[in-house]
Amino acid sequence: MNSILKYSIMAVSVGSFLSMMSVFPANAGVSVQCPGDTDGSATWTGSEVQPPNTKCMHLGAGDGFITMADGLSQYIFGFSNLTGLVTRPVFPAPADDVMMAGMLGASFPAPPIVLDEGDEFYLTLTNVGMAVRPDLFDPHTVHYHGFPQAAPIFDGVPDSSISINMGSSLTYYYKINDPGTYMYHCHVEAAEHMQMGMVGNLYVRPAQDGTTKIYGGKTYTRFAYNDGDGSTGYDVDYPIQIGSFDSAFHNASEAVQPLPFALMVDNYPMLNGRGYPDTVNPASLPAPAENGGKVSQKESSLVTADRGQRVLLRISNLNVTRFYTLGSMGISMNVIGKDAKLLRGPDGKNLYYKTNSVTLGGGQSVDAIIDIPADAISGRRYFLYTTNLNYLSNDTEPFGGMMTEIRVN
Amino acid sequence: MHMRVIKTAFQVTVLFAAFLLLLTVNAGAMINGITGTTFNLTAKTGHISTPDGGSYLIWGYANGTGLAQYPGPTLIVNQGALVRVKLTNNLTVAGGGTPPNVSIVFPGQQVTIASADPGVPGILTKEAASGKTVTYQFTATNPGTYTYYSGTDSALQIEMGFMGTIIVRPTKGANFAYNHQDAKFDRETLFLLTEMDPRIHQAVENFGPAGVVGTDYLANYFPVLWFINGRAAPDTMAEPMAPWLPYQPYNCMPMMHPGEKLLMRVVGGGRDLHPFHHHGSHARVIARDGQLLASAPNTGPDLSTEVFTIQSQPGSTIDAIFEWTGKGLGWDIYGTAADGPEFIHTCNDTIVVDGFDDATHEYCADHDKPFPVTLPTNQELAFGGFYSGSPFLGSLNSLPPGQGGLNPNGGYTYMWHSHTEKEMVNYDIFPGGMMTMLLIEAPGVPIN
Ligand SMILES: [Cu+2]
Ligand SMILES: [Cu+2]
Repeated sequence: MNSILKYSIMAVSVGSFLSMMSVFPANAGVSVQCPGDTDGSATWTGSEVQPPNTKCMHLGAGDGFITMADGLSQYIFGFSNLTGLVTRPVFPAPADDVMMAGMLGASFPAPPIVLDEGDEFYLTLTNVGMAVRPDLFDPHTVHYHGFPQAAPIFDGVPDSSISINMGSSLTYYYKINDPGTYMYHCHVEAAEHMQMGMVGNLYVRPAQDGTTKIYGGKTYTRFAYNDGDGSTGYDVDYPIQIGSFDSAFHNASEAVQPLPFALMVDNYPMLNGRGYPDTVNPASLPAPAENGGKVSQKESSLVTADRGQRVLLRISNLNVTRFYTLGSMGISMNVIGKDAKLLRGPDGKNLYYKTNSVTLGGGQSVDAIIDIPADAISGRRYFLYTTNLNYLSNDTEPFGGMMTEIRVN
Repeated sequence: MHMRVIKTAFQVTVLFAAFLLLLTVNAGAMINGITGTTFNLTAKTGHISTPDGGSYLIWGYANGTGLAQYPGPTLIVNQGALVRVKLTNNLTVAGGGTPPNVSIVFPGQQVTIASADPGVPGILTKEAASGKTVTYQFTATNPGTYTYYSGTDSALQIEMGFMGTIIVRPTKGANFAYNHQDAKFDRETLFLLTEMDPRIHQAVENFGPAGVVGTDYLANYFPVLWFINGRAAPDTMAEPMAPWLPYQPYNCMPMMHPGEKLLMRVVGGGRDLHPFHHHGSHARVIARDGQLLASAPNTGPDLSTEVFTIQSQPGSTIDAIFEWTGKGLGWDIYGTAADGPEFIHTCNDTIVVDGFDDATHEYCADHDKPFPVTLPTNQELAFGGFYSGSPFLGSLNSLPPGQGGLNPNGGYTYMWHSHTEKEMVNYDIFPGGMMTMLLIEAPGVPIN
């Protein structure tokens, strides 16, 4: 399908979608719940007062486009960040802006969610609909993957609880008790919605942050976990999410064709939603034309650090087809956490280990600390790449795929 | 050749029907299997069925004169027992050719075979030729979860179904996974994970094992079906020994109450790794391949860690203990007086002072805290079949006609599944495959 045709279809679907919106009863529709926030923006402005330990966010769920490292434009489902957009007084006026912002606004990966231990987190999800697939009426959810002691009502599994229909909002509440590297994704028709791109980074910083601990002769104020001894202290941290797309599946979805679930074979391996060399572009990638010019790939995977610094990599995997191994060439990783738990036994025995590779299936996470040598030369590059070497490609284009660089400043 | 269907209402209906059946029968808190010291297994053919309507030839170990099973019978023995496994080869193959030899290997066990045994030497072990019997013997020295599978032409025979689980119960008792207090559990569930490439089964069905020779099916293996304990979802949630699944007797339906310990015995029964994600909370991995993760003989699992996804590796086993209380959610999971008089309850942490109610294991610090948000109106929501209509444990609320209904006691349900999400399908129908649901019932609701 050429992009001009695509545009005309979109214009029709956006219009028909908005007209459909107006048939919803007055109590339905876009509705942000955030304590202290009166204009429904999920932020506190003017006279609004942010209650202590409270965070809010407003995500849209819908569709959009991204650009693969070989230039291919790819249709996706995904989340958009609607935080800051005024939604009250309710429909019609400001809510329209939210729907327009969310429509075709999907980003990949999803907007990162960064929380602090002790937070009360109000996450509003608004289903903005699928502009390119007006035939789909899929609801959506947010599954906070790995959250301990979860309750089904906020776990996002549609079979176990509720999911939100097009044009409406559902607010999830999470009390954030446990630091670590999690991830989030939509759990509706999970094999489809996740292959299509509804996945993102999510991590929780520990209560120990802000205290001072000396470890290895250096002072740290930021830590991966509440380690008690500063051993997870770091200078800079980077979320790195492993992912991969099967372009045939995305094309089938865009063309309203039957979806090849069992036959899925991913041909675009990525880190944070990009293949190499786009992974090392520190900026957002240019907006694709097909989504009306919305920037949809904001997350770089370029890691930069000063010599002698400690780098925390928060690695997660949300691809839906296979295991991947990430290797760190020329520098070793100290694995200090797995699946959002400090790597210690029940009596506190230290189980950290050094390695040059970590292997993760979908839904697994690893926290690894890299020590940049004190004598590293400025400009030195280390590579973080999949040792599943056939995934170092962007479809048929070699020397790409699942790789990024750690650069010494 | 197969039908490609995108999300059908039919699939949802099947899921519901299977689950409702389960609720009417004894679900069993312990793992189904056969106990004793002498096991007479017979290698036979059978046909399994998948929820998308498929039927596939399997080769399975049968219990004596019973039907072939996919997977083979779970052998449950006591630590220290002298175990004898007699394997008789009653396999038949298409085209009237000579059936292949069959055998069993027992990773983790010191197996002996009498020198006078009529078994014929194979590469890995002695094998039973067609119509003959071979007898393996071992002492179940160490407790734990083990696997057993074919030692003959393994790439083909394990795919065809020759594999199963061995559970060795420790001398400390049947409610322990190992001989240590920290390996105690209240309930246990087996998760034997396998995948299937139907091309192989169709070739063997039509032409016998020769049908695979000359193909690339084993070399370029491409599974399109995935199973837990031999069943693809939603059949995983149907009753064990369901009459319509005669060759797939085992279900996989973990159930528990808040505060109980559920032992997960996870077995990699096929050839692929699977990231098994158990919603609800972390699980503590206490053992691998029958070895307690202990730094010394009496320390207990002091090298154990907690995970939210179990990395299951082929041929390997993992024992993990899962617990759930809802601690720290920040709202009362049983509701408050503001929700109605029927929600009024107490939280008594007096006898064992641990922060939890002595009887219900409610986390008392969250007692009486209100539900934190307003839920959207019904017309804005899609409802899951397992949704009770209420966010509170043990409560039911009205739902639009035809919605919910699979959760008559208002339990909390959690999807437990392969996080390689393409494995949650039956061919191209989602959901299915390597998936089941954990059911946490409210305190006092009987399980069994
Ligand atoms: Cu979704
Ligand atoms: Cu997940």
